[in-house]
Amino acid sequence: MNRKWMVWIVAPVLLTVLYGCPKKKPQTPPQDLEVDTTTVTPPAPTTTTDVPATTTPTPVEDETEDPLLSADMQVVNDELRRRGFSPDVYFEYDEDSLSDETRERLARNADLLKSSAQLTVTIEGHADERGTNEYNLALGDRRANAVRDYLTSLGVDGNRLRTLSYGEERPVCTNVDESCWSQNRRAHMVITGRANVG
Amino acid sequence: MRSRAIYLAAASLLLALGLMLPRIFAQEPPATPPQQQPPDVTIELRGGQRQFRLAIPPFRVAGVSGDAAQTTREIEQVVRQDLVNSGHFIIQGPEELRALTLSGDVQRDLEAYRSVGSEAVLTADLRAEGDRIVLEGRLFDIASGQAILAKRYRGTFPVGRRIAHTFADEVIRFLIGVPGISLSSIAFTSDRTGQKEIFTMDYDGQNQRRVTGHRSTSMSPSWSPGGGEIAYTSFFNGPPGIYIADLASGRKQPVVTSGSLNTTPTFSPDGGRVAFARSVDGNVEIFVADRKGGNLRRLTHSNAIDTNPAWSPKGGEIAFTSGRAGNPHIYLMDAEGANQRRLSFDGTYNDGASWSPSGDLITFTSRRDGRFQIVVMNVVTLASRVLTSGAGENESPTFSPDGRKIAYVSRRSGRKQIYVMDLDGGNTRQITSEGNNDMPDWSRLASEQ
Repeated sequence: MNRKWMVWIVAPVLLTVLYGCPKKKPQTPPQDLEVDTTTVTPPAPTTTTDVPATTTPTPVEDETEDPLLSADMQVVNDELRRRGFSPDVYFEYDEDSLSDETRERLARNADLLKSSAQLTVTIEGHADERGTNEYNLALGDRRANAVRDYLTSLGVDGNRLRTLSYGEERPVCTNVDESCWSQNRRAHMVITGRANVG
Repeated sequence: MRSRAIYLAAASLLLALGLMLPRIFAQEPPATPPQQQPPDVTIELRGGQRQFRLAIPPFRVAGVSGDAAQTTREIEQVVRQDLVNSGHFIIQGPEELRALTLSGDVQRDLEAYRSVGSEAVLTADLRAEGDRIVLEGRLFDIASGQAILAKRYRGTFPVGRRIAHTFADEVIRFLIGVPGISLSSIAFTSDRTGQKEIFTMDYDGQNQRRVTGHRSTSMSPSWSPGGGEIAYTSFFNGPPGIYIADLASGRKQPVVTSGSLNTTPTFSPDGGRVAFARSVDGNVEIFVADRKGGNLRRLTHSNAIDTNPAWSPKGGEIAFTSGRAGNPHIYLMDAEGANQRRLSFDGTYNDGASWSPSGDLITFTSRRDGRFQIVVMNVVTLASRVLTSGAGENESPTFSPDGRKIAYVSRRSGRKQIYVMDLDGGNTRQITSEGNNDMPDWSRLASEQ
C-alpha cells in the first residue's frame, strides 16, 4: 500500500510538536484540507522519522470533573472499579464466611469508600441454584450482611450500606456445573446513590 | 442409634401385621388386582387402603350438539378422571363393562354388575337447557339394588369442569366418607411471562391463571385457610416484602415490607396472622404479625438462619428450617416460639416443611446422597420415608387437602415442573408444562365455595 501521502499528515504533526502549537487551536488537520493523491506527486522523502506513540496528545482532563461526582451511577461504578474496587466477592457452597482473599478485596473497597464518603452502596447477596429458593434467599441475606459487617469493622459508615438478598433468583451464569455455580455464590456491591454526608 | 433400631423393629412388625390383616379380614375374591406397595405403616394412608369397585357405564347424552356436545364429553371425562385420581376406586368403565349385556336399567342389570364384582354403579344423564348444561347423576348400591344418591347440577358451558368436579367430590364424600379434592387449587410460581409471577390452577393442572402482574420476582405463595387469598413474597418494591392477594378482587395488600428481607409467609389456621422469615441484625429469623403487619413479634433467636415457617393445621405449632446445627434441618416450635426442637436428622439439607391436613405428618425436601428428594415424616415418632428417587432435584412438596397426595417440583424433564404423586410415592403425574413452574402450595378447602 502506498503510504506516501502520509507525509502530509506526519509533517504538520512533527512541526507542531517541534515548534509548539498556538493555544486553543485544534490539533488535528483542518477538516477542509484536501489530499489529492491523484494529481499531486509529492517528492519521495529522504529520511524516515519514527513517531513515538506519546506524540499523540492525550486529552487534557478537566480538573474540576471527578467521575466519582457524576450523577450517572454507571460512571461512578466504572470509575471506582478502575481505581481497584471489587464489585464481587465469592463464597463457598452453603457458606457465608469470608476468605482471606475476600477480606483483602474488601479492605481495598473499604479504603475507596472511606475516601469518597458520600457514596452509598447496596450489597446484594446471591446463591447458586442448588438448595431451595427459600433457604438460598436467607443465605444471600447472610452473605450480604457478612460483607456489610466487615466493611463497617474497617470503618465504613454502616448507614451508607444497604443489603438486599436475591438468593438464587438473579444468577449471572446459568449452566449446571461448578464453574457456573461458583460465580453465582457472591456478594455484589453496587454504588446506588449519594448520601448527604461530608 | 438405639431408638432408631427400636422404631425399625416396631415398624417391621407392624408392616408384617399390616400385610396379614387384609388376608384375615378379606371378603373380596382372591383375584384382586395387585395393590400398590404398602406404605411404611408409620405413615398410614387415611381413609383406609381398600379401593371401592365402582362401575361407570357411558353417560347418557340427550339432544345436544356443538358446544354443548363438547361440554358433555368433557364432563364425562372429568368425572371419571377425578374418581380415578382420588385413588379410592377401582373404576369399571366402558372397556371393563363391554363383555356384559346391559339393558341400561341398573335395577335389571344387577346380576351382570355382580358378576364383575361391582359394589356400586354411577349413572349420569346430560342434556342442554338453552345455554346451560344439566347433569343428573345417580349412585346405585349393587347389594341392595337401591338408588342411594341422586343429584342434579346445572350451569353454563364454561363451568362444565366445575360441574364435573362438584359431582365427583359428592360421590367420594357419599361412598367413602371423606371430602374429595377435585375442587381444590394449587398456587405456584411460573416464569412463563418472562418473570416470576404467582399463578393458580385446578388440582389437575387445568385452568391456570396468573394472580400477580408485578413484572418482578414474586414467590413463595401460601393459601389462606379459606382459599380466598394468597400470601406471597415479592421484590417489586425493592427489598422483598410480604403481600396478600385477594383472589376475588385482585387487590394486593402489604403485610410487612420494612427492612431488607421478608419472605416465606404462612397463614395461621384462623387466617388472622402470618408467620414469616425476616432479616434482623444480619440474620434471618422467624416472626409473626397480624394480617396488616401489626403486632410484629419475633419467635426465634438463633445465630443461624431460621426460615420457611409452616403453621400446623391445628395452630399450636410451627415447623421451620434452621441452620443452627450447621446444615439446614427441620425444627418444630410452639406457635409462641417456645419448645424449639429438631425433627430431621437424616440427609445433609432439609427445608420446606409442609403439613398434612390432619397434622400428624410433614413432607419436606431432603438431600440424600447428593440429590434432593421428597421425604414424609411422622412428627411424633419421627419415622420417615423417602418418596422419590433418582435425579431431577425433587423439591417443594405440599400435601393435598385430603392428605393422600403430594404435589412437588422436579427438574427430571429439564425445566422445573409440578408433579403430583400418591403418598406412597406412586402414581406420579406431571401437571404443568409451560415455562418453569415452582413452589406449589395446595389449598386447604375447595376455593371459591
